[in-house]
Amino acid sequence: MKLQEYTQSKHNFEECTKCTVCTAYCPVLQVNPRYPGPKQAGPDGERLRLKDPYFFNYALKYCLNCKRCEVACPSGVKVADLIQSARIRYDKSKPKLRDRILASTDFMGSLARPFAPVVNGVTGLGITKSILDATLKIDRQRTFPKYSGRSFEAWLRRREKEQAAFPEQVSYFHGCYVNYNYPRLGKDLVKVLNALGVGVRLLEKEQCCGIAMITNGMSEQATRHARHNIAAIEKAVAEGRKVVTSSSTCTLTIREEYPNLLGVDNAAVRDSLLMATRFIFEKLERGSTLRFRPDFHKKVAYHVPCHMEKLGWGVFTEKLLRMIPGVEFTLLDSACCGIAGTYGFKKENYAASQAIGAPLFEQIRAVDPEVVACDCETCKWQIEMSTGYPVANPLSILAEAMAE
Amino acid sequence: MKFNTLIIGGGLAGLVSGISLQKAGHSTAIVSGGQNALHFFSGTFESLEEAPERLATLLTEAGIRTHYQKGVRLMPLGTFRPAALSLEDISLFPTPKFGKRVLIVNFNGYHDFFSSFLAGGLEKEGMTCRIQQLKLSELEWLEQSPSEMRSVQIARIMDRMWEVVVQEVRVLLKDEDTVILPQVFGLQDTSVPGRIRQGIPAQVIFAGTLPPSVPGLRTQLLLKRRYELLGGTYLAGDEATGAHVHDGVVHSVVTKNLDTHFLEAENFILASGGFFSKGLVSNPFQISEPVFGLDVEQTDDRSGWYHPDFAQDQPYLSFGVKTDAALHAIQNGKPMKNLYAAGSILGGTHPELGTAAGLAIRSAFAAVDQILSR
Amino acid sequence: MNHNEFDVIIIGGGITGAGTQRDCAMRGLRTLLIERSDIATGATGRNHGLLHSGARYAVNDPESAEECIKENRILRRIAAHCIEETDGLFITLPEDDLGYQQTFVDACRKAGIRAEIIDPDLARRLEPSINPELIGVVRVPDGSVDPFRLCAANMLDAKLHGGQVRLHTEVTGFIREGDTIRGVHTRNKVTGEEEDFYAPVTVNACGIWGSPIADLAGVHIGMYPAKGALLVFAHRVNNLVINRCRKPSNADILVPGDTVCIIGTTSTRIPFEECDNVAVTPDEVTLLITEGAKMAPSLSSTRILRAYAGVRPLVSADNDPTGRNISRGIVCLDHETRDGLSGLVTITGGKLMTYRLMAEIATDTVCRKLGIDKQCETATTPLPGSGEQSYESVAQKIWENPSMAQKAAAARMGTSASRILTDNRLDERLVCECEEVSVSEVNDAIERLDASTLTDLRRRTRIGMGTCQGGFCACRAAGLLAKASGCIEKEREGLAHFLQERWKGNYPIGWGDTLREAEYTQWVYKHVLGI
Repeated sequence: MKLQEYTQSKHNFEECTKCTVCTAYCPVLQVNPRYPGPKQAGPDGERLRLKDPYFFNYALKYCLNCKRCEVACPSGVKVADLIQSARIRYDKSKPKLRDRILASTDFMGSLARPFAPVVNGVTGLGITKSILDATLKIDRQRTFPKYSGRSFEAWLRRREKEQAAFPEQVSYFHGCYVNYNYPRLGKDLVKVLNALGVGVRLLEKEQCCGIAMITNGMSEQATRHARHNIAAIEKAVAEGRKVVTSSSTCTLTIREEYPNLLGVDNAAVRDSLLMATRFIFEKLERGSTLRFRPDFHKKVAYHVPCHMEKLGWGVFTEKLLRMIPGVEFTLLDSACCGIAGTYGFKKENYAASQAIGAPLFEQIRAVDPEVVACDCETCKWQIEMSTGYPVANPLSILAEAMAE
Repeated sequence: MKFNTLIIGGGLAGLVSGISLQKAGHSTAIVSGGQNALHFFSGTFESLEEAPERLATLLTEAGIRTHYQKGVRLMPLGTFRPAALSLEDISLFPTPKFGKRVLIVNFNGYHDFFSSFLAGGLEKEGMTCRIQQLKLSELEWLEQSPSEMRSVQIARIMDRMWEVVVQEVRVLLKDEDTVILPQVFGLQDTSVPGRIRQGIPAQVIFAGTLPPSVPGLRTQLLLKRRYELLGGTYLAGDEATGAHVHDGVVHSVVTKNLDTHFLEAENFILASGGFFSKGLVSNPFQISEPVFGLDVEQTDDRSGWYHPDFAQDQPYLSFGVKTDAALHAIQNGKPMKNLYAAGSILGGTHPELGTAAGLAIRSAFAAVDQILSR
Repeated sequence: MNHNEFDVIIIGGGITGAGTQRDCAMRGLRTLLIERSDIATGATGRNHGLLHSGARYAVNDPESAEECIKENRILRRIAAHCIEETDGLFITLPEDDLGYQQTFVDACRKAGIRAEIIDPDLARRLEPSINPELIGVVRVPDGSVDPFRLCAANMLDAKLHGGQVRLHTEVTGFIREGDTIRGVHTRNKVTGEEEDFYAPVTVNACGIWGSPIADLAGVHIGMYPAKGALLVFAHRVNNLVINRCRKPSNADILVPGDTVCIIGTTSTRIPFEECDNVAVTPDEVTLLITEGAKMAPSLSSTRILRAYAGVRPLVSADNDPTGRNISRGIVCLDHETRDGLSGLVTITGGKLMTYRLMAEIATDTVCRKLGIDKQCETATTPLPGSGEQSYESVAQKIWENPSMAQKAAAARMGTSASRILTDNRLDERLVCECEEVSVSEVNDAIERLDASTLTDLRRRTRIGMGTCQGGFCACRAAGLLAKASGCIEKEREGLAHFLQERWKGNYPIGWGDTLREAEYTQWVYKHVLGI
């Protein structure tokens, strides 16, 4: 009888050998002693929670969900998943209004867009921030991303016929940021893909990937979004198209969090979902070419977002950027910027966020680049606010460097 | 992606091979499924009776300061072990009688450092010991955590605050000739242990703590940084799950993160470690190597894997992947043409290569030499 | 009375001895308990931890079954903090005889045991780990009990009533005057000190070692050592006890307990010489996993923590070679009437479950001999720590906002957890991270519960019972013991001994993650710490 050939437990918690390596890589432990740390919150805690849910520790809310513990674990324990799934299973406290607002990006985006110039003006005012701080506990020091008057979807829809003419087609999961705040990034992606002979289409009614809902106690809503998005992606894949993304967090959420935390199966389409930088790199590797401006020069420092490091796909972005002639490339040390999505907006977390990001900010100042490259939009807000250096998605740098 | 050499395993053997090959102009990538045993590094490169120049150069160029003296070192439980090549912050002595009066200083509430064991061991060697606790305001916030006052967390603070420790120790010091501190200095700033030694008018010994090892983590960071500076591609948190092999030649390796994007190379080094890092896996019936299915030296019966006495050498620790004399890994009795094995995955199959760090380094250099001579 | 004179001496620090000392002490006797090792190191500490409903015996041994259910109810009242009221299921699998179920239920009811036939669907919902192919299931009031806690609580109560305890002390001979036992010669195994103690009555409560002890006194009790092997899994797979509804056989009980679950057991006759050094064989390991997986299929791929074996003290009654269907009846031997030797009583047979009744019988005998007329109150008086029903309310009362370690302490110590309340933040530091045991809990065990070694601490606080098997906590706890004992060399040896004990339980199941953990432990202790 083939007994004990392998072990099976939720998120592999029983493989933990208690080596403590995860605790050396957790950004939160460096700044917040109230957080039990990945070992205690994850595999240690799970054994106690199995005995009695009474042993659930509410301090698990301080976990950034950066996944660095998982990247470091020599045993393959999904430490961060253990922690987040414990929060989903045992934390029955209702999300505050503030958390609902921060997590409902689709809703807020659609509301704000028609009034973008006013909203942007107002959220930039000190008085607004003070009110938000006092009432909703959104830290007044945090800057808000600006909203765009026109959505990316509207822009791409107007170009449907032109895009359909390209020999190869992909669908693009653009995410909330590109759609409501920064359509420019979506336009850059389209420019680069078009230059490679690839036309870009929207998915059939994409919804917010739901990562902020997962971490803010709205997992049921997140699950609805997940099912919807997987259906839309499956449709595109069935029609023979890969699905590209430009946000590392959206990608990780759809690829990993959907099956691991929400129980939404994506096995049929997981391999067809690719970050655009991976898609582009693989095309160039197989013989496609891009023409670059001979006069392009940029000192670029690349910050690998935590979720990108977890995906393991930072190497594609890195190699892509290094390919651009004229790029003076520096790979920044692996570090967390501290914002962790909606985490850093919350007053109770603000100081910790800034303390976590401090070494990264210091390194950026020391390197003194012209632009920081980063695949994650919330890292972009954090680094721009905390260092003043401009941050661009690698696709935008690529688009800028391309010859017309 | 294509490389000259793909290295599976980012521990000591993997990093030494990668650095050597990059320096020789090869393009390499390291696939590392999680962090490695360097995090429990004692600071002594065991099983290296002489200090090969090649190693010394590699370490110096990586910014890792070492020294060499055949003798003994003080262990955290107050015992002495033979040691030769060690990191600079590990004190080496010709004999255990290194002093007369010893001041052992620990941080208040840090219980991963064993002052009473140290004192007991030193008193056996005829020394008199005095134990003192340091209560630093900088560490007070760490005291709030019931579990996370660990070596690495203290070390991060000490990188900024070590001067406070020096001041406090100078005040505590009476007529002792030796001061023993926990090994929690010099995580990012490698100059700190040396500067502490300069600041204290006594011989300063940094004694080890429970894991993680601060000198180990420091060494890992420096080696990784050196490797990346030389142009190496370090794929962290990824795991090799399989390979495409034809006629004894490995064409590419499949990894968990890169899925359909196979990693192609002309040469492959398997440095995936022992059981801890899953370089070798076991079930009740056998021990196997999970990526290529290589032949593993073992006893047929599980009862031969263990010695019932914990203190004795354990047979399973000497099991390892079979290779030929040139370290070509063997699969189904046949040596692979372009796959080499290095590090603790070899177990005791090559006793001439030594154990632990000695094994990792010797086998890494040997595999590198094989590859460069092709 | 001199300092070494008592009303009764009890030999044996298992649950029977501890329970007897408690009962005697509560009836006003001056008691001394002598134990050659630590509490619960015999069968008491090496069983399932099952709080029997008695259902297992209902068909073949209705007397035992009745005894069990009565004591089950009593223990729930007096030892609440040592018990988890999990309930139990007796399942019939497709290969079992479903007809047995009715026989079983009828016998249970006759013995006064609540037995409810429930729908297999309901069982699957109540206990998700259960074999989904089950065709029948009966629900009974099984539970789980921590025998170390139970033993420690009895001994503590005895001490609170004036009793004295000598652990790590061996009885080397009896002080005999003609046909009367007047006391015992003892030797402290740690210090080597020899001391004599006197009492008009001595109680032999040594389990299987009751036979050699009786030989020392010059009387013979025929006992058959029957070894039982068990496996502890690394985490809790089930929440209800799961049994096979069939004639009692090997490996048909899976008991959840604290953070783990235990599968057992087997029964093999072994020679007396092996009693002090029982080991689990590879065949026993295979049997336990195979049979266990039939009840809860996930066991076939669950990490195993350790393998251990205990020795049942079976008093010779009939000639069943497996020793399984021997009546588990309590045997109380008054050697005055049996052998003409006065001053000695042996209490043996029985089960962990019926210890209180055994103690009552033994104490009744002792009191009769001493002419003391006092009622037994152990059935109605809660043990120290057992005031409250739920550890949640205990933790709430002691600490307004309990931390994980405080919650765990409340679960382990019951109301006695108030002893570890401290102002010093550093005392809340964790010694054992796997089981959430703080410095103050360890210090309390050293100061109040007679813990003097790492293995003693393990029994009382659970340090080292988690998946790292002492990788971290052993060193930290050794440091605390050194502070208390002042002797670092003793703690160094204790550390080596502790690691050896853990290894003994690990290598019979030394594969997969257990082997990885072993490699890690070897490396850390030998190369990093320098043991």
